[in-house]
Amino acid sequence: MALLLDWLSTAGILFIIASGLLMIFGVMKIINFAHGALLTLGGYTAYVVTQLDVAPWLSWPLAFVTGIAVGMLIEFFIMRPLYKRPLDAILATWGLSIIIGQLIIMTFGREVKFADTPLPGTWSVAGMDYSAYRLLLILVAVVLCAALTALLSGTRFGVKTRAVIMNEHLASALGINAGRIRFITFSLGAGLGTLAGTLITPLSSLDPAMGIPWLVTAFMLVMVSGHSMLSLMVTCVVLGACQMLVSTYTTPVIGGLSIAVLSALILRIRPKGFAYG
Amino acid sequence: MDNAAVTTPVRERDRSKKTTLSWGVPILISVGLALLVLGPWVFDGYLLSILIRAYFFAILAVTVDILWGYTGYLTFGHSAFFGIGAYAAGLMFLHQGFSGGTIASGLALAILASALVGGLVGWLSFYRGASPFFATVISLVLPIVATQLLLSGGTWTGSSSGITGYETFAFSLSTWYWIAGGLMATVGLVGWRIVRSDAGRLLTSIRDNEERCSYLGINVPRVKIILLIVTGAVAGIAGFGYGSFSGVVAPELAGFVLGTELIIWVALGGRGTLWGPMIGAILISVASAYLSSSIPFAWQLILGTAFVLVIVLLPQGLIPLLIKPFGFGRQSAGVPELVERPSTGTKSENTDAAALRMEGVTKSFGSLNVLQGINLNADAGELIGLIGPNGAGKSTLMRCMSDGAARTSGNVHLCGRDIERRPPEDCVGFGLGRKFQNANIFESLTVAECLRMAGTTLEKPALFRRAPTLALPPYALEVVRKTGLDAKLGTVAQDLSHGEQQALELAMVLALEPRIVLLDEPTAGLTKTERTQIGDVLSSLAHKYKLCCLLVEHDLDFVEEIATRTVVLHQGEIVMQGTFDEVVNSDLVKTIYSGSHPTGQEASK
Repeated sequence: MALLLDWLSTAGILFIIASGLLMIFGVMKIINFAHGALLTLGGYTAYVVTQLDVAPWLSWPLAFVTGIAVGMLIEFFIMRPLYKRPLDAILATWGLSIIIGQLIIMTFGREVKFADTPLPGTWSVAGMDYSAYRLLLILVAVVLCAALTALLSGTRFGVKTRAVIMNEHLASALGINAGRIRFITFSLGAGLGTLAGTLITPLSSLDPAMGIPWLVTAFMLVMVSGHSMLSLMVTCVVLGACQMLVSTYTTPVIGGLSIAVLSALILRIRPKGFAYG
Repeated sequence: MDNAAVTTPVRERDRSKKTTLSWGVPILISVGLALLVLGPWVFDGYLLSILIRAYFFAILAVTVDILWGYTGYLTFGHSAFFGIGAYAAGLMFLHQGFSGGTIASGLALAILASALVGGLVGWLSFYRGASPFFATVISLVLPIVATQLLLSGGTWTGSSSGITGYETFAFSLSTWYWIAGGLMATVGLVGWRIVRSDAGRLLTSIRDNEERCSYLGINVPRVKIILLIVTGAVAGIAGFGYGSFSGVVAPELAGFVLGTELIIWVALGGRGTLWGPMIGAILISVASAYLSSSIPFAWQLILGTAFVLVIVLLPQGLIPLLIKPFGFGRQSAGVPELVERPSTGTKSENTDAAALRMEGVTKSFGSLNVLQGINLNADAGELIGLIGPNGAGKSTLMRCMSDGAARTSGNVHLCGRDIERRPPEDCVGFGLGRKFQNANIFESLTVAECLRMAGTTLEKPALFRRAPTLALPPYALEVVRKTGLDAKLGTVAQDLSHGEQQALELAMVLALEPRIVLLDEPTAGLTKTERTQIGDVLSSLAHKYKLCCLLVEHDLDFVEEIATRTVVLHQGEIVMQGTFDEVVNSDLVKTIYSGSHPTGQEASK
């Protein structure tokens, strides 16, 4: 039972981390390397909220808004000139992550910090006590998945976004402002990144490099899952299980590698990943 | 040695202009070499040891530049090979002691292990249909796996603190300086010769247009894998040197952060120049050593900001900009002499077999059947016009002939050889040449270089030099001369007119000495004169040189003029074939072209 909950919450956390990256990758075919730095930024938002001694819940909206604002700036000044050079766009986001990381170090220092959890204690599931916050994250992941799926498939914005994904020239010719769609998705993706950072911070400590290990994992999950939020969820559940099993039966170090290595192999054998089933 | 400078992708346009070489190049090279020789008397001990490390990193930067700047493979993981080399030194000297034998076996281990990992990563990263993106993703995983393995190696690899305290070479700093500098100069010079040679153009071709490469019969994945193995081994040697010199090896040497720093050095130094990344790596390493103690965070911030600015505003990097006044980055256009190549005859073994045989070829996308049971034969000397309304499946049919993976079922034989599921480069090997609808050429190469690339499978390009002659089969020469391209051999392909680009692509396809030539709308967008020229060329190919030509064409007048047989494709089926008059005058074809009224308009548009 504990294993089951561990598995589900791991999958949930993976989904939360990767969703912002998928948002951006899906529309722009650009991997946002600043995602790791955005996670860190979100983590420090939680820390700031803790220091201010207000309700820890507030870090969620605060992080989301901060991320969106940062995303808007990045999109406007950096990404826009680079759409024709996707590999350079990746590099530029990596440069950005260095900048954000250094600014965080200069502001908060290198020391490990902690942030309050909004939901301390445990909940009892089927007669067993389990960290309430981890359970909450499962719920958050499900809600996020449903909301993003609804946004992308049920709204006008979603239809336009998919039009841009499928055929940008045609979409532009039909009067869809592809530039604006990109602007919104990038900002939203960045916002999801910082939100994810805030969400995972109470589970561990906080340091300026915390985003990097997550970045590669999230990156691989997105590559394997293709374009839809649902397939990302499936990928997270499957690979989350692999990671759990490998960590349990070998060492956590190898477990930590399992997602990256398995994803690479999956993509080598089946380049489309989980995209079509 | 040629004393023209290395080209950059950005500045390759300038090559067609005649530039007089200034004294700047020899002067700068002399200054650089003088510093390499005189260093120990000029620099103090601290700077010397920083420079030694920087030189090893510069070697690494050069290999990354060859991969990224020249070939277009963006890698974040080349540090892993450096780490492998460094650990080969550390582990060998720590566990086996320091002796002549362990030096040799350590170095061998560094080279072999790097090459092996290079091959494995290459196999994972480069395969048919892999996106360049995917290779970059794999390159991210590599250093992370490497670092984790080193971390979990316990006392054997020293875990996070790495290995230290092993006995190593008892050279003085000056000796190390000369070793590192000499190694760097050697790698730089060899790399420089290679990227400027005919074989080196292959790397640029791959960066420019991978599809064209594979349709010229070049096995792109194999070239990239070999390249990764070689550059990996060189990085391993550099790492071995670093590990032997510093006496400390740590997991960071194989890590992701060093991998991304390499990219920063190369980008700031000027990708695709070799010397730019070399200088970039040295300057930034030295500056980091001095500044990271005084202004640690600000220095990283400056570096990050500079990197973003350079990527956005100055993709060619900083150093080319600074050195431009000295005459670097220009190159005189060395134009080879055109000669006729006698037929190599490698593809004419099965002259009895039909040039093309398709049996029951189908292609479906899901439930949509684009081709349903195509049977088509074509012999040498035939000139077949494939016509049909839009959406009839003409282009799909062409793809099924030239790429084994394209069709859903059925058999295709080229010159008697079953293409099975083979990639385009093998189909080209069987005697196929395909000209695309849009001019599919290497935009940053000159006309002569494009034509040379086309002959890669027939004549191995020189690895260290540029051949003075360019051999083409007679019919390719005819195209080049007729269209006036022979006067523009030194012109960069993207500066040609639309018609010239089309002619260049046709000449490239013909340089393959194909037995079957596929042409997708060869007359689209051409002027009247160009159209007549193409018509003459195609007729002579079929009738004089006995090639089998198959063209998809909407221009029915053109088909009437040159085709020996006309094939009508409609809704994925061959509905009719025969002479042009038979076809055009048939009621069936009239129906197809004009809708449901058999007595309606003329079939031709």
